[in-house]
Amino acid sequence: MSLWSIAWRYLWNRKLTTALTILSVALGVGMISAVLTLREETQRRFEEEGQAFDIVVGSKGNPLQLVLSTVYFMDAPTGNMDYAVFESLKSHEDVTHAFPIAMGDSYKGYRIVGTSRELMDFAPGARSPYTLAEGRYFEKAQEAVLGAQVARDSGLKVGSVFVGTHGLVQSSFAESHDDHPYTVVGILNLSGSPNDRAIFCDIQSVWDVHSHCDADHDHDSDSDHDHDHDHDHAEDPDHDHDHAHDHDHEGQEVTAALIKLASPALRFEFKDQINKHSNAMAAIPIMEIQKLYEQLLGTAKLVLLAIGYLVVAISSLSILIGLYMAILQRRRDLAIMRALGATRGEIFGAVIIEAFWVTVLGIAAGWFMGALTCAVLNHFLVTRIGFHVPAIHMTADLVSAYSAVVLMGLIAGILPAWQAYRSDVARDLAEL
Amino acid sequence: MVLLEEVTRRLGPGVHFSCEKFYAAPGSRTALWGPSGCGKSTMLNLITGLLRPDSGTLRIDGADITALSESRMDAFRGERMGFVFQTFNLLPPFNALQNVLLGMRFSDTIPEQEWKSRAVAMLNRVGLERRLHSKPGTLSVGERQRVAIARALVNKPRLIVADEPTGSLDPKTAASVMALLLELCEEEKVTLLLVTHDRGIAEQLPDLFDCTGLAREDAS
Repeated sequence: MSLWSIAWRYLWNRKLTTALTILSVALGVGMISAVLTLREETQRRFEEEGQAFDIVVGSKGNPLQLVLSTVYFMDAPTGNMDYAVFESLKSHEDVTHAFPIAMGDSYKGYRIVGTSRELMDFAPGARSPYTLAEGRYFEKAQEAVLGAQVARDSGLKVGSVFVGTHGLVQSSFAESHDDHPYTVVGILNLSGSPNDRAIFCDIQSVWDVHSHCDADHDHDSDSDHDHDHDHDHAEDPDHDHDHAHDHDHEGQEVTAALIKLASPALRFEFKDQINKHSNAMAAIPIMEIQKLYEQLLGTAKLVLLAIGYLVVAISSLSILIGLYMAILQRRRDLAIMRALGATRGEIFGAVIIEAFWVTVLGIAAGWFMGALTCAVLNHFLVTRIGFHVPAIHMTADLVSAYSAVVLMGLIAGILPAWQAYRSDVARDLAEL
Repeated sequence: MVLLEEVTRRLGPGVHFSCEKFYAAPGSRTALWGPSGCGKSTMLNLITGLLRPDSGTLRIDGADITALSESRMDAFRGERMGFVFQTFNLLPPFNALQNVLLGMRFSDTIPEQEWKSRAVAMLNRVGLERRLHSKPGTLSVGERQRVAIARALVNKPRLIVADEPTGSLDPKTAASVMALLLELCEEEKVTLLLVTHDRGIAEQLPDLFDCTGLAREDAS
């Protein structure tokens, strides 16, 4: 009969107290497990969006604002820049993909994003955030492809017609563009990305809507039109080129350009080039997002983790109190063991093992609770926002957290074990 | 087997224990008799090493136990002594068999592979072959004391110390437990020291040591 089984039988002998103590440890461990898993996945997803494009170029202002507004569709844009800048960027030798972004209108609070048809075919990494759930991609002006969340919340379907309003927030006072209705031609799959909250259309649509009062504008607003233009790239950052285009975009503006470079290693050099030699501003999305994450979500993560560890600390206190009370009630048993030949060390060890059992079982139960929480969240979030919460898997952070919990449990066992260690056998046998 | 010479121990303010000489031969069965508070339990605690004397000689089975470190004393006690208490002192979470197994757990006297067969044999010997897996709470007081006797003897000790072993039993059960204890000590050739305040019980044993006056107030 080992000390492990002796300790186990004493725990089993007071099942209810033991179960409650294990539960309190499990609550803390469950919270820590879920928070660490969610944090890791959130950060991964957040950074995944940031990694999709190497550079975002827009008008000068706050780089984080530029990234949030054009990649995450979350903040107000920094302003517009001339389309010529986009043209020059697109033809840069280091650029493999360049997509224009034009914003200014919204529908029920969801942004209408004017861009090029090519963006819909863009598949960064292993992801395909623009796959269609139904319908087709836009092919001409005033055709719209809805993000999954937009379609669900607005009730719009393929074939539905809607009218955008000026501005990026929902307001009853916003100017409505009744003369430029959009027709829904496609709906994207739920991807858990910002795309779920956006309405994509040809950039020409945005220009047309905002140029309807401009008598000098060259475009026919509802046309499947052909344009022809030649223009100089006044904003060309580092080279001269000359293009022939299907459209005449002279005088047009874009909110930003989303750029994919030949190599991520070129990001800093390219960004510096833009910022130094042009009137536009370049930002590296992943860098801005990591800064934001550390500033904002990093603090939230620390707060949640602190709460988790606080729960574990309180649980450790309950281990301490539970074991201490048990030792006081068990003085006779300990004295009998000593009389049977148990050393002080064996008595100390048996109590520490009890603390260890409680802690380890608490971790196991907490892991299960955390896994259950993640599974429930996954079920809820996947269907609601396409955010996949992975099952809890062992990461270095989790191993460190569990080790810390074991350590706290063992420390909690030391005082009762010491009490048992220094018990006076003759007195305890005589008194009882 | 057990020798105390000029043993003293301070028990508290103004009270001390003092024993000029006590000797119990190997295989003997001795009653330590005296009224409550006379010092007989203190004497038992000194003999078992649970209390250390302030002075004097204390030899058990040839060993000067006053010279043993606490851990050596723990091992010595586990290997050579068995205890029977008035309140049985079985451990509640463990059944009868496990309580007897614990008697071997803390010493190296019996090889581990023999623990179970030895424990079962001892419980059979005390008539509890059908109660091996019963928890102490489900046993009668007589059965509990039989388990305690089996536990005390399972380790093949050289000395059994029994502190008022019949104090919690009715006369009929007490008589049968006393008979069993004496019979087993005879069989196993174990030295028995039995503490009792009951003169009738004490006189059932071949030797009687009067403990009256061992614990007394200091002379002013």
